[in-house]
This record gives sequence, structure tokens and C-alpha cells, in this order.
Amino acid sequence: MTSPDTAAMALAARRSPLLIQLGGLYGIWLREVKRAIRDRGQLVGGISRPILWVLILGIGLNPYFRGEVYGEVTFVVPFTYLQFIFPAVVALNIMYTSVQSAVSLIWDREFGFLREVLVSPMSRGMVLLGKVLGGATVAVVHGCLVLLLARFADVPLTWLDVFKALGLMAMLAFALTSLGVVIANRVRSFEGFGVFSNAVILPLYFTSSSVFPLDPALTRAQTRIVYPEWLVTIVEYNPLTYAVDVLRGVLINYNQFDPRLGIAIMGVAGVVLFAIALFDFRRA
Amino acid sequence: MMPSAPNSGPAIRVDAISKRYGRTLALDGVSFEVRDKELFALLGPNGAGKTTLLHILCTILRPDSGVALIGGVDVVKQPLAARSRLGIVFQEPSLDDRLTVHENLNLHGLVFGVPRKLRRQRIEEMLALVELTEWADKPARTLSSGMKRRLEIARALIHDSEIMLLDEPTVGLDAQTRDRIWSYIRRLRGERQITVLVTTHYIEEVEGCDRVCVVDHGKVLALDTPEALKRDHGQQLLRIVPKGDGDRREILTRYADRLAGEAGEAILLTSDDAFAEAFLAGYGTRIRSLAIEVPSLETVFLSLTGRELRDQAAGARERTLAFGKRGGEHTR
Repeated sequence: MTSPDTAAMALAARRSPLLIQLGGLYGIWLREVKRAIRDRGQLVGGISRPILWVLILGIGLNPYFRGEVYGEVTFVVPFTYLQFIFPAVVALNIMYTSVQSAVSLIWDREFGFLREVLVSPMSRGMVLLGKVLGGATVAVVHGCLVLLLARFADVPLTWLDVFKALGLMAMLAFALTSLGVVIANRVRSFEGFGVFSNAVILPLYFTSSSVFPLDPALTRAQTRIVYPEWLVTIVEYNPLTYAVDVLRGVLINYNQFDPRLGIAIMGVAGVVLFAIALFDFRRA
Repeated sequence: MMPSAPNSGPAIRVDAISKRYGRTLALDGVSFEVRDKELFALLGPNGAGKTTLLHILCTILRPDSGVALIGGVDVVKQPLAARSRLGIVFQEPSLDDRLTVHENLNLHGLVFGVPRKLRRQRIEEMLALVELTEWADKPARTLSSGMKRRLEIARALIHDSEIMLLDEPTVGLDAQTRDRIWSYIRRLRGERQITVLVTTHYIEEVEGCDRVCVVDHGKVLALDTPEALKRDHGQQLLRIVPKGDGDRREILTRYADRLAGEAGEAILLTSDDAFAEAFLAGYGTRIRSLAIEVPSLETVFLSLTGRELRDQAAGARERTLAFGKRGGEHTR
């Protein structure tokens, strides 16, 4: 029992480096998921947020959604407000959880755990990938918590819709977690998650055509007259607009833009943000 | 996978390592060797460069110049191979508070690529070694700080590390727990035949080590066995308290060349056995008390660095840590 038996050592030495890296990747992923499950605060947020947004805000604003201007119905979005906002709330829940998981990197770095992993034989890329995949997994689960409310929002879902949505949610979660890591890498002193919520999540969310549509009945020029120009510009330049839009296409069959655009933006954003995160992470 | 190191070679070789932080030279051409299966102590005050050196050895930091070898593997050129031989216990706790004791060990095994069967076996052995078996399923945050340290020591051994680095493993622990940690360190060295490099600024702790390296201001001041250090740098002192002022003056003028210092009423004279006897014969009736102070590492350290071990002020990181401890949102 005392001295390391040589047979076992030989077995360990024979393992391929790739297998070791994958094992470590699994370990770090598992840690992220376990931590999230044990974080009551995060779970409470993940459940109460969709309930507030869908049941309170959604139902409350539902009657005002089809407004009339000078006796003329302007909105031709053929959905209730509840249905319209539902996919956006999925995105919102993913956003919160992704960024929250990524921000925990600050704690990992400052106080211990990260150091322990960085002196292991794992490559930095794998460490970061494990962290991001773990955060993204938790975020997708939180996104699914919103899907459970589909009945109340009057959104009928087939299994195929759900699978398609899961794929999109995973892409979105990966990109957002990477974004969170990019931010976390640049933050040296940390006073809480509230800063991130107010400075990153909510501005991105509100300007992503999530809580109000840019009226699709209007032409581009008309839109800019009805809405202030700066708002239209921000909405159009916000990448999250396209992510929410493609999710909306799958869940309620309503697209303002070409869905391929949304998928492309999420994919490119995921790769680029992860690359930036890795670049920072290697240097730090 | 990696070239097998010759068993006869040193476990750790540090050759002219220098590291600069801005304008401070943290390490100034440090060189030493740690022999195979040795219990080696790096002794120095806070800020002497011990932690910097350890971070270079475990490849977190790169040296500005110089070479460091772990079992013959260059830490700069082959960091992954070097790391897989090391078991490290950092100065600051690095456990995951939300995972259980067992999960912490299992994660370490996964990350270090220990196969499942071996992992299970090692975790069991290590938990038994540090007597935490009953705590296996408790969250790490429920452990006392001494138990956390023991868990970290156990963790560093899960991947059959050949060389163990411990950075101030007993800092912030009470005396009893410190003794206990040291008994574990000695025991595991006996049981598992590994090399141990430990840093500390508690002098009394290095008495039991094979060799001690005294560092300060990034330089090696002395390196030898504790006994040899005491012999070469330690000095027997005679602490005497004269009866009256007249006696005091007389002793001071008579032994001016032996005067080592005055502490309140007491006079300190450098001494050896013969001198002590001669002094007693001559002045035995004219002193109130006499004590012979044998050389300790404390006096060695004083004579080498010219000062006592200093303490450090809390920095910005401690303040952020305090925020986390107060229950900072979604943190630990």
C-alpha cells in the first residue's frame, strides 16, 4: 500500500496525452456543473427571472401589444406579447447564467482553484474550454427552465422545435460564456456581480429587439421615423438581436431577419470570443 | 513520454535563477540543489523570495534568467513534464469550497490524468494518511483550516508525485495544528519515499529537516544541515545580570571584547564552555543570575540577516478576499 506499485505507474504513463487532456476537461466541466447545482442563489435567479418576465411582464403588457395609431393598426406581428417575449426570456436566462459562470473565473484566479489546475499537466486551452463548456451547459439548463413555461405563454412546442432550440441555445451560451471570460480576464478588482448585470447584460438585452419589435410592417426609412434613429442603429448593430431573432424563428415561427444570419453571427462570435479569451488567459 | 531521470541526480536543481518585478529584484542569482528523498527547507522572512522561487519551480512564473530542473526536466522548456512530477501545496488555500473532500481529490486525479481505478485507490490511501476518511463526503468549506491543509497535502500526492513543494504549509495555524501538519509531512516522506521542499518563516520548524537553505532579499545566505548551521553561524551566549552597578561596570570593562549586547539589566557575552567556567570562577559571587544560551537557528538567522523575521501588511487581494468571505454574491 505504501510505495506506488510499479504496474499502476506504468499504466498511468501509457495513457495517451489526449486521453489525459479529455479526462481533465471532463473534470473541470463536472466541477462547474456541480458548483452551479449547489449555488442556491443562482438557481433561485434562474427560476424567478423567467416567471417574472413571462408571467408578470408578459401577461401584464399583453393587451397593449397591438396598439393602434390614428385608427390604424400598426403592428402586424401576428403574435401575442407573451409569445413574442418568450424566446427573448430564454436568451435572457442564458445570458445571466453564462456571464455569471464566467465571472466566477475571477474568484478561481484570485483565490486558489485556478492555480491548482494551472500547475497540472493540462494545457491552458483545455482548462478554459472546460470552464466555458461547463458554464454553457449550466446556462442551457437555465434556458430550459424557461421552456418549461411554454404552456403558460401559449407557445406550442414540438420535440423537433425543442431540439433545434437546444442547439441554438448551446451556441448562444458558448458565445456568451466566452464573452464573460473575456470581461473577467480584464477585471482585476471585483466588487460583485451587479456591475456585470447592469453594465453588460441588461443593455445588451434591451437593445436586442427582445422586449419590443421594430415594426416589420414599416420600411427601413419609415422605421427610422417612427423610432429614434440611434435606437434603430443600436438594435441593428447588437449581435444579440440576431440571436434572439433566430431563436424566435424556431420557437414561434417569426423572423425579422434571415435566420442563417443569426446562426452565422453566433458561430463567429463564439469562435472569436473564445480565441480572445484564450489569448488573454495564456498571458495571464 | 518523458526521459527517465537518473536516480542519482538531484531532485531539484536551481541554477542562477533571477526574477525581477519592476524595480525590485525578487530573486538574485539563486542556486542550490535538493537531493533525492531529502526534506529540504527554505527559510526566510516574508518577502525574501521563497514564494517567487516556488512559483518558478511549478512553472506559474518564468525566471528572467537561470535554469531550474525538476528531476532533470527543465521547467521552462518542458513545463508539462515537470509539473506531472510535482505535488504542490500553495500558501493560500486552493480547495474548491463547494465540492466535497472526495470530489476535490477526484477532480485533482482527473486533471492529472490518473486512471479511474488507481484514482479510487489513491484517494482512499491519502484520506487515510491524513485521517480525513470520515470527512470524505463533507463539503470542503466545513473543514477547519488545519484539516484543509491536510486535505491539500493529500491532494498533492494523488498523482504519485515524486517531489512535493509546500509553500508555508503551517502559516496561520495554531501551534498544535502546526505540529500535526509537520508530523504528516515527516510520515508521508517516510512512507512514500519522496523529496520534500518546504518554505517557512518559522525557525523552530526547520530543526527536523535534513538541510536548510536560508534566503533573504532574493539571495542564498547559507545552506547546510541545521546542526552545521548552528555550529558555523550560531554563537553560545552568556546572559548575566550583575548584582550592582559597580559589578556591572567592572564586567563591562573586563570583557569589552566579548560584549554581544545589553538587554535591559542583562549583559550578553559571547561565550564557549571554557569561558563560562572561567567567568563563573571569577565573578560567580557578583551576579544575580546567569543563563547560557545555546546556539539556535534563531540566533543563526539573526547573525546571517542581521534582523528578526518580519511580517507583512495586507494588500489589495486580501481586501477582495474579505469581500468574498463576507458572502460576496455568487462567489465561492
